[in-house]
Amino acid sequence: MAAVVRGVLNGIREKGLSNFLRHARDEGYFKCLLDGNLLQTKIHNIGATLVGVDKFGNKYYEKLHDTQYGRHRWVEYAEKGRYNASQVPPEWHGWLHHITDSTGDEATVNSPPGRLPRLNAIEPFSLVPGSKLQACLAVSHSMKLLEQNAKAYIVDHKENFSGEGEELIYHSKGHALNPGQRDWTRYQPWEPKKEEAT
Amino acid sequence: MAFFARAIRHSSPYLRSRAPPPPAVAASCRWISPTAAAGSPEAGAAVAPADPETPPPREPVGGARVELPSNPEDALEVFVDGHAVRIPKGFTVLQACEVAGVDIPRFCYHSRLSIAGNCRMCLVEVEKSPKPVASCAMPALPGMKIKTNTPVAKKAREGVMEFLLMNHPLDCPICDQGGECDLQDQSMAFGADRGRFTEMKRSVVDKNLGPLVKTVMTRCIQCTRCVRFASEVAGVQDLGMLGRGSGEEIGTYVEKLMTSELSGNVIDICPVGALTSKPFAFKARNWELKGTETIDVTDAVGSNIRVDSRGPEVMRIVPRLNEDINEEWISDKTRFCYDGLKRQRLNDPMIRGTDGRFKAVTWRDALAVVAEVLQQVKPEEITGVAGKLSDAESMMALKDFVNKMGSDKVLCEGNGPSPPADLRSNYLMNTSIAGLEKADVFLLVGTQPRVEAAMVNARIRKTVRATQAKVAYIGPPTDFNYDHEHLGTGPQTLVEIAEGRHPFCSTLQSAKNPVIIAGAGLFDREDQDALFSTIETVAKKFNVVRPDWNGLNVLLLHAAQAAALDLGLVANPTESIKSTKFLYLMGADDVDLDKVPDDAFVVYQGHHGDKAVYRANVILPSSAFSEKEGTYENTEGCTQWTIPAVPTVGDARDDWKILRALSEVAGAQLPYDSLSGVRDRISMVAPNLVHVDEREPCTISSEVKPPVKQQVSSTPFKTVVENFYMTDAITRASKIMAQCSATLLKK
Repeated sequence: MAAVVRGVLNGIREKGLSNFLRHARDEGYFKCLLDGNLLQTKIHNIGATLVGVDKFGNKYYEKLHDTQYGRHRWVEYAEKGRYNASQVPPEWHGWLHHITDSTGDEATVNSPPGRLPRLNAIEPFSLVPGSKLQACLAVSHSMKLLEQNAKAYIVDHKENFSGEGEELIYHSKGHALNPGQRDWTRYQPWEPKKEEAT
Repeated sequence: MAFFARAIRHSSPYLRSRAPPPPAVAASCRWISPTAAAGSPEAGAAVAPADPETPPPREPVGGARVELPSNPEDALEVFVDGHAVRIPKGFTVLQACEVAGVDIPRFCYHSRLSIAGNCRMCLVEVEKSPKPVASCAMPALPGMKIKTNTPVAKKAREGVMEFLLMNHPLDCPICDQGGECDLQDQSMAFGADRGRFTEMKRSVVDKNLGPLVKTVMTRCIQCTRCVRFASEVAGVQDLGMLGRGSGEEIGTYVEKLMTSELSGNVIDICPVGALTSKPFAFKARNWELKGTETIDVTDAVGSNIRVDSRGPEVMRIVPRLNEDINEEWISDKTRFCYDGLKRQRLNDPMIRGTDGRFKAVTWRDALAVVAEVLQQVKPEEITGVAGKLSDAESMMALKDFVNKMGSDKVLCEGNGPSPPADLRSNYLMNTSIAGLEKADVFLLVGTQPRVEAAMVNARIRKTVRATQAKVAYIGPPTDFNYDHEHLGTGPQTLVEIAEGRHPFCSTLQSAKNPVIIAGAGLFDREDQDALFSTIETVAKKFNVVRPDWNGLNVLLLHAAQAAALDLGLVANPTESIKSTKFLYLMGADDVDLDKVPDDAFVVYQGHHGDKAVYRANVILPSSAFSEKEGTYENTEGCTQWTIPAVPTVGDARDDWKILRALSEVAGAQLPYDSLSGVRDRISMVAPNLVHVDEREPCTISSEVKPPVKQQVSSTPFKTVVENFYMTDAITRASKIMAQCSATLLKK
């Protein structure tokens, strides 16, 4: 807590109050108060490593210790208001979903083809063709090639704009933005007014 | 292992001579390992009992008890997987396996239906039989060596399963049976891990079976359980099999609805998702549901049911096994009335203002108003009426409360002007429902069991089918689903039988276990005393009541009736309602409200805005049977409890609690404030009502009744239940029941 206060005071001293407030707004700290998801992300961010920032400004964090395994990578979206999972570009998707360990930055770097050991380069160490070691190497080799190929998308990533407008976006029932089902009463009460009709 | 092998070899010269040592040891294991090839099955069976590693024999499937006949000649011994089991003669191989604790996969076999043997899933290997045999259709023979777990049996099952799945759609994710599907479970347990079928699957046009049963006929595996159920148990010849080979399909021959009061049971017996519940379709998955084992109150049978609920909502009702009452079936009214529990509910106490409109108020205000009126009326002008769905606790509280206020006018609807409460045998089904199976002649007097108590009717039908029992009926023309003889429409016929002038007397005379069932509709007749004394004359004349057999029955109509008579809610309704100034209706919707004086103050306590609320001055909301713990006594005198499955709606409270609170406000506090307190009080009045799940037979016979001077009138008997689907507040509120009465009732 003290660290947070100190950080805030430092920020004010460095930037001046108005600049600091603008910065805080851009970073979504005010939205935190209304948006629990964002607040939770911000709290998680404390002490986590910022692994990278993609071209849209989404920040990717990782925290290896003191976190439940499988929840140790996450993203803070650049868009603080209407964020959704389709804003993550493909080069970061693999890292974020634990498909690969190379970050989106590594994937985008057009690494020279010579950087990876060729399969035949390690042939002296490998055993008979068809052995287990060779199979492993072949798999890891092709994985690395796949990661490099993330660059191969010709069209730039775009988030999913379908269902623009709150009413068209899917929100599960019970979600604050789901227009249906406000009333969770599961029975229909008897209406005394109906007796005049009958 | 090797040590045992050596020990066995040295100890048993017989074994050494027949089986080479290594396979003998391997095959003696109960589990099939790849080395236990089918090469030496005889050796395996011979060694198994001697092998100390063999697991002990298992218990019968489902903990079932097997009663061996007293005569040892009628029992035989077979070996299932090497274990000897003793079974009665006439058991099938499948039943023998069940006794041995081996559950054989099956689709078409159902213990309550005839054997079809067409799904072939129950194939097992029988020694010396060239092919695997269908165990459901094969009678067990003495000394038969049955093997359920050999490669041959496994391969046979896998093959059958592959054929069954060939034309079965892969729509489990959108199938309502998903999660409780026999085909799903058994293909996981016994099927192969892949299919080889790459052609087109066949598809079948769905049939319309009415508003209750949804059909997806493409999923059907032609087990014909539904066909057999319809023709054997339900007694309607609506369903049948059309076509041959892959063109085979279940249908109704011509486009026709299934008009049976038991049609919902085909949903339960269908092993796949071909027949599912239409009202429940896509409402919930079965693993989301919480099951509560309770009983049904829509008729006097007290069928055992399981209420499946999700959160505060009852999602469906399914039967529970009770051999004495409903076996494993329930009527459609029981099964599908549940949507009535969600409609037209009273959720707030309400007071009718001076403008004639109801206004929601707090409990405090409502009780204060009722108590104030109670102070102003004379004690003898107070009347309490219990409804047909009331539990014993609330009726006890109502009776105590009304008595404490100084009145004895407390009654239960449906029990007629002079309820026969003196002797328990006068209003109970003395033979018991299961006991009806022993009967060989039925005489139904003024009762239409098919609509009054569908489960009792199913039991009569079962008896008629099994033993060709004769059924005679006196009453208005009505539908029966078994052969019967319509003797007449009025009491005159009954008198003729009593006097021995009727041709049916000879049948009754020759009957070994005759049964007379009188309907509770007779209670409402003016000449009911004379009628019942005539029925007793018939009983005496034809030896219906003997020390070893009591065939004199009354079939009640409502869940509350028996308990009300036990507790003594026996005032005369017409007189007490005509003169009342303060009428307390506890869920009573079928009392004659026109007779209530205009200046009378009517309190309606109940769970549904049904008929009587429109006359009420104050409405007190109470809980329905699915929401409270209550004691009910069914028509055979078996006491059962309901268990709350869902929370009460709105501000509603349990019936007896409302009465207890009202008694305190009115200054006549009832001496109990807990459920156990009420039950203690009940045990003083009617101790049989606290012995749950027990049937208390009556001890005093009707001999002690005083002679009746009344004359039997000639008015014919009336139909008591006009609409099977809508008989009480819950079923009248149900949309499904309304649909049923619109489409299924014969007009």
